[in-house]
Parts: sequence; C-alpha cells; structure tokens
Amino acid sequence: MIPLNHFLVLSTILFSIGMYGVLSRRNAVLILMSVELMLQAVSINFVAFAAYLDPEKATGIIFAVFVIVVAAAEVGLALAMILRFYRNRQTANVDEADMMKW
Amino acid sequence: MTWEEVIFYFVAALTVIGALGVVLSRNVVHSALFLIVALIAVAGVFILLASEFLAVAQILVYGGAVTILILFAMMLTRVRDLPAQMIGRQAPIAAVAAGAFMVLSTIAVVTTEFPGESENINVIDVNSIGGKLFTTYAAPFEIASLVLIVALVGAIILARGEEGE
Amino acid sequence: MGMEEVWLLPAIPAAAFVVLLLVGAYLPRRGDWVAIAAIGASFVLFFFVLADLLDAVKSEDFVGGGKSWTWVEFKDFHIDLGFFVDEIAIVMLLVVSFVSLMVQIYSVAYMKGDPRYGWYFTVMCLFVASMLTLVLADNLLLMYAAWEGVGFCSFLLIGFWWEKRSASEAAKKAFITTRIGDVGFLIGIILLWREAGTFNIQEIIHFAEEGGYGNTYLTIAVLLLFGGAVGKSGQFPLHVWLPDAMEGPTPVSALIHAATMVVAGVYMVARMLPVFVAADPIALDVVLILALITVWISALMGLAATDIKRVIAYSTLNSLGLMFVALGSHSVTAAMLYLFVHGFFKAMLFLGSGAVIHATEKQDVDELGGLAKKMPITSITFAIGAAAMIGIIPLSGFWAKDEVLTATDHHQNIIVYLILLASLVVTGMYMARLYILTFLGEPKDHHVYDHAHEAEPIMSVPLILLAIPAAIGGFVVFHEVGDTLGFPGGFGEFVYFDEPEKFKMHWDTAAISTVLAGGGALAGWFAWSNGAAIATRVRETFSPIATLLSNRFYIDELYQFVINNIIIGLGKLIAWFDRTVVNDTGVDGSAGLGYLAGNELKLTETGKIPNYALAIAAGVVVILTLFLVLEA
Repeated sequence: MIPLNHFLVLSTILFSIGMYGVLSRRNAVLILMSVELMLQAVSINFVAFAAYLDPEKATGIIFAVFVIVVAAAEVGLALAMILRFYRNRQTANVDEADMMKW
Repeated sequence: MTWEEVIFYFVAALTVIGALGVVLSRNVVHSALFLIVALIAVAGVFILLASEFLAVAQILVYGGAVTILILFAMMLTRVRDLPAQMIGRQAPIAAVAAGAFMVLSTIAVVTTEFPGESENINVIDVNSIGGKLFTTYAAPFEIASLVLIVALVGAIILARGEEGE
Repeated sequence: MGMEEVWLLPAIPAAAFVVLLLVGAYLPRRGDWVAIAAIGASFVLFFFVLADLLDAVKSEDFVGGGKSWTWVEFKDFHIDLGFFVDEIAIVMLLVVSFVSLMVQIYSVAYMKGDPRYGWYFTVMCLFVASMLTLVLADNLLLMYAAWEGVGFCSFLLIGFWWEKRSASEAAKKAFITTRIGDVGFLIGIILLWREAGTFNIQEIIHFAEEGGYGNTYLTIAVLLLFGGAVGKSGQFPLHVWLPDAMEGPTPVSALIHAATMVVAGVYMVARMLPVFVAADPIALDVVLILALITVWISALMGLAATDIKRVIAYSTLNSLGLMFVALGSHSVTAAMLYLFVHGFFKAMLFLGSGAVIHATEKQDVDELGGLAKKMPITSITFAIGAAAMIGIIPLSGFWAKDEVLTATDHHQNIIVYLILLASLVVTGMYMARLYILTFLGEPKDHHVYDHAHEAEPIMSVPLILLAIPAAIGGFVVFHEVGDTLGFPGGFGEFVYFDEPEKFKMHWDTAAISTVLAGGGALAGWFAWSNGAAIATRVRETFSPIATLLSNRFYIDELYQFVINNIIIGLGKLIAWFDRTVVNDTGVDGSAGLGYLAGNELKLTETGKIPNYALAIAAGVVVILTLFLVLEA
C-alpha cells in the first residue's frame, strides 16, 4: 500500500518545479507550460485526498474535473493574449512587457 | 516492494523528469514534448489513484488540445532558440524560492495527521461522479460551461487583430 | 412701587442706552436730555424703593427685597436674572444715582462742542445701567457680568479721546489690569458655586456660615474673589491703571474712577464679608496688608505728582485703601460709611478740578496758582472737599475716617492702628499742597491766570449740590439724625455686619486723628505756600526719594519689564514651537515622509512580470514559514 504522503510529496515536487519554471523562464509560452505543471500538481493533490480520505463524496475528483476545464479555458485565452502581445512588440519575451514601470 | 510501489515510483519518476525537462530545456519544442510526457505521466498517477475517468479526461484534454494549442502558439510567435533568451535573469533566486517552498511544504505534509485516513485506496464509482456533477455540483457545472464560452469569445476577440476586420 | 420694582432702576438707563445707540445721532442736542432724564428717573425711583425698604426694615427678620427671574435652567444648573436690595445696596444706590445725575448735568457744559458728544452720553447710560445692575445683582454671575460691563464702559470712556496715543494706551492698561483681577474673580465664583450649587449670594453666605466649605478651599476661593476687587478697586499691586485713567474726560473720572466703579470692589467684599469671615483669618489679613500698602504708597506718590487729576486719583487710591482696611477689620459700617461720603466729596473734587481745567486749559499745578480770586465757587467747594478728605471735623470725611480708625483700634493690633494714623499726616500734606499750589499764592503763569474764569452755572450747581452732603453727610452716624429721617437709627444701626452699632463718640481717636491730620495740613501749608520755597529745598535735599515718588516707585517699569521679558518671551517660545515642531516637523514633515516613501517605494514597480511573480512566490514562502513556526 502506498501511503498518502507519497502522493502529496510528489505533488509538492511537481509544484516547486513548476514554480521555478514560472519564475525563471523568459518566454511567455514557456511560462504558460510551467503554470500547467503547477495545475497538474494541484489536481494530483485533490484526487489523492479524495481517494484516501473521502471516497463517498468524491469532492476531490469533481474539483480536478473543474480544474481541467478552467485550465483549458485559461490556456486558450492566455495564448490569444500572447499572440496579441507578439503582434505589438514582435517578441514573446516577457521582460519586454514593462510599460507599467514607474 | 510490491508491484504497486514499483509502478508508483516509475510513474512518479516519469512525471518529475518530464517536469524538469519543461523548465530546464534549451529548446522550446523539446520543452513542449517534455510537457506531453509529464501530462501523460500524471494521467498514470490518476489511474493509480483509481480514478480512471479522470485519467482519460486528462489525456484527452491536456494531451490532445492543450499541447496542440501551445505548439501552435510557438509556431505563430516564432520563438527563437537563443540560449540567452531562454533562462531569465532571476533564475538563481527563483531556484532558492522554489527550493524553499518544496522543503517547507514537504515538512508540512509529512508532519500532518490527516483525519479519516484509510490505508486503502478506495475505488471511486464513476456513476457517482456523474450523479454528483448534476446534483450537488450542478451550479459549478453550468458556470463552467459559461467560463468556456467566455474564454472562446474572448480568445476570438483578442486574437482577431486590427487589420480592418 | 417698592422693592419689587427695583429692577426699573437699571432698566431705564439701559433702555435709554439702546435708544441713544440707535437714534441718538438724529435727536436734538444728540440726545443728552434722554440720558439725563433716564438717570433722573432712576434717582426719583430710588426714593420709592427707599421708602419701601425703611418700612420693611422694621420687621425683625428682614434680609432684603427684590425680584428674580430664571434665565438659564437645565438639570441642576440655573442662573437667575435677579435683583436684590438690602441696606448695603440702598446706600450704594443713593451714591450711584445721585452722583451720576450730577455728573451728567455737569457734562453738558464740560463736553460741549466735542465731536463725539452724543456717544459720550450713550456710553454713560450703559455705564449707569451696568453699575446699578452690579449693585442690585442677587447672584454672583450677574454681578460678574455687570462687573465686566462697567469695565468695558470704563475702557470706552478712558479712551474717549483715542486719537491721543496716551489715552488709548491708558484705556488698554485699565482694561488689561482689571482683567487680571477678574480672572481670579471668576475662578473664585466658580469655586464657591461648585460646593454650594448656587450662584445666589444670600444662599452662598448661608452655606458658608453653616460651614459647608472646607477651610482651605474657602480661603482660596475668597482670596480669588478678592483678586477681582484688587483689580477693580486699585489695590496694590494692580493699582497702576487708576492714575493713567485720568486721560479720560474729567466727569468720567469723577463718576467712574471716584464714586462708583472703583468702589465696586469694596461693595462686593462688603456684601461677601460673611463669607470672608467664615474663611481662614489669613484671608482678611491679606486684604488688610494690601490695603495698608495701598494707603501708604498712594499718599507718598500723591505728594510728588504734579497733575491735578493725578493727585486726586492718588487720593482716591488712598481712600479705597482705607475702605479695605475697614473691611479687613470686620467693619461693614465703617467701609460703607466711607464709601458713602467719599462718593460725594471725591466726585466734587474731580468736578472742581474739571472746572479748573475747563477754564484754564491746563492741568499741571506748576502752571496754576492763585485761582481762588478768579474762581470763588470752585475754590470754596474744592476747599470743602479737600478738608473732608483730610478729615477735618465736622465735615463728612472726619466721621467716616474716625469709624475706620475705631474699627482698626478694636479689631487689629496696635501697630496697624499706628500705621493708619501716621498716614493721616501725609494725606493732610498732599491735599493741602494741591489746594495751595492750585488756588492760593501767586499765579505761576499769568497768561493762564488771565484766561481763567468761573465755571458756568450748569457746572457750578452740581459742585454746590455735591458740596452739601460732603459737608454735612457725616452726621448720619448719629442716632437722632437717622431716626428723624425714618431710618432705624444712625448709620451704624442701619448698615452693619454682626450687630447694629449705635454710634459712640470716641474722643481719644477723634482728638489724635484731628491733630495728626491738621498737623499734616499745616505742614503742607508751611512747605508749599509762598512759592513752595521750603518744599523745593526739601525736594532737592532728598532728591533720590523725590525721584522715586514721582516715578511712582517704578512699579510700572517693573510690570513692563515682566511683560517684555517673561510674557513676550514665553510667546516667542510658543511661536518657535508652533513653527518648528508643529509646522515644520509635524505638518511638513509628515507630508515629506509620505513623499519620500512614495519616491523610494515606486522603484519596486519595475513593470517586469517575472519580478512580481517572484514577489508572490517569496510571500508564499514567508507565510508558509510562519504557519509552520506558529503551528509548531
């Protein structure tokens, strides 16, 4: 039997890697991919809890379903924005988006 | 070492390798491919957790649609492979932050007593999930469809462009 | 018409004031007849009140009569608009109304031709109304309001010719000096009210006699109350305003600074004497000591002053001191008797000097002389007044002074009595000096002498009318005289503190006082007649003392020094504090701090998204740490 902790630690590792990616990558698309990783980690967490702690209500799984839905929608929108940004600045480099500077 | 554990460690390793590939690779397309690996591996984790429906949904949506979207975006924005552009300036600090977060979270996870923890992974009935979706969680379900429509419309408008359309 | 309607006495001049204020400029003769008619009416009504009072006095437990309306009332706090007349008040009423009337008639001639003629009578009406309210007030708060009212009128009238710098300065000085005393007065009133729960004078007296106040508390309250009297009645150390107040027109000096306003302090203390007595004996000791100092320094300064009005002003201070000595010796009879006769002869002295000034356009005795031949009526009435002041038998001043001396003899130790007796000599000297230098001898300035003429009837008739009570007013002390007039007896059996005092002639005191006073007068005559040869030699010999006296003991300079250095210095300190600490540091500083903070903190807005994301991540790490630490 695999203890619950194992899944949780896995999700933590995944989340941290995703966080590192978000903070250190320059390209917007790459950042988006790292965000997807983070969302995956969260889903694992939810499903693990649902499986081990509360199978009748299955809240975790429902949650994970919705995470998938929202993540898909978000990716669509985010990519549309990146395309827009690219058209304006001819680059997808996130460091170039600094017009809100003081 | 039961078979379960072996499979678990294998799938876990796959996930982590895929994730590391995404964030560390110099080549964007390689990153995208590593992402696919990670996503499929996560689907494997879901199967391990006895939620097959979710695993299948995961593969369909993520492995299919999301990855294609990302590849398309990469094509349209002509991402260059220059190494200088790939890794950002604050990578060291980011590593520190991420590392700290991992350590702290692990400590939190390991030292917590979860209530109602049972030894077994319980099988979750797909029928019950469907039932719950339409009864207890009917409202979020409808709103989710709204979210999708909004995203659809929004994406079209945003990506349409200014050339006299 | 009786004691119940006593409120009409101040009301009619008050109404006249309003009328004159609004339409005075359009009335014929600027409305001086309105003022005279109003004050005359008060004088006439006085007799009705007197008759009613004399009738009521016959009953055993008579305290006083009058009428009272509630003015402010909420919860357990109420102020009344109340008028109360008893024996002390009725004496004051006579002095105030009669002297006011004489002065107003006199003013018609004195102030003729002045561009602000109408305004003079307007303010005079207000003054008379306020003074009468002060006398008749049945509660301390109303008395205080009227007190301030007469102070305000005094300010307006001293500074009547405000184009003259010295006049406006004097008005300011008078107001500020009396104000200092008035602060104490108000605090004293509040202290008394706090324990007794009422402002009503009779109730406070009752409360004090029952022992309702703690001893220290009452002593402090009473001394503060006396502070107001120190200011208003020119006791040392707040006496400095009275000589300067002579900048005002002479009728003003006669009415306000001789007969009525300055004795308000005496009146107040006389009224509140039961409360003073209920306090620690030190309270009345303070009264006595300040009064003695006032008596002596005023007499000495009068010896050196050269302006006629100034000398008379010092004599007023001298008399006020004597009244407070009487009060300090527990004798309301002596104080009120002196107040009574003083009102007449001092006002007359001032009006007489006014006649001299009006005729010669000069005030300095060094420029006058020999006027007796040219101004007989003035000269004779002045002589009567001076003699009354000195205390020559059988003029009114003698009887009053004797009462004061007797009271001191009975209540105080022998040293006080001797100090007082010695002052009589100096009084005799300076009054004689004044008379001789003004009216006798050779005129020092012939041009002035030629110009001089007797006062016109409107001015000289009041002089004569005032001379009569100045001469014979003292006889009211006798039981037989009082009885004939309808009073319960002599003055002492009508106005008294504890027990009615039937008049008894103290021949020893009378003899000593007459000898001393007369001796002083003679010494003065020797020194200043025939061109003041002896006096000049004495002055040269003792020139430092002479300088000290003519500079009024440098008290004014001392006060100015204190004001310049201490008060203005304090002001500068506070201004510095306001400018530097409050403004620069507090206001500007906090604004600058905000600006600085913003200026520095804006650098965190790099605009770069990765930076923001890092910040979020760092924040999450910190919170996580906190959670773990606190949980553990």
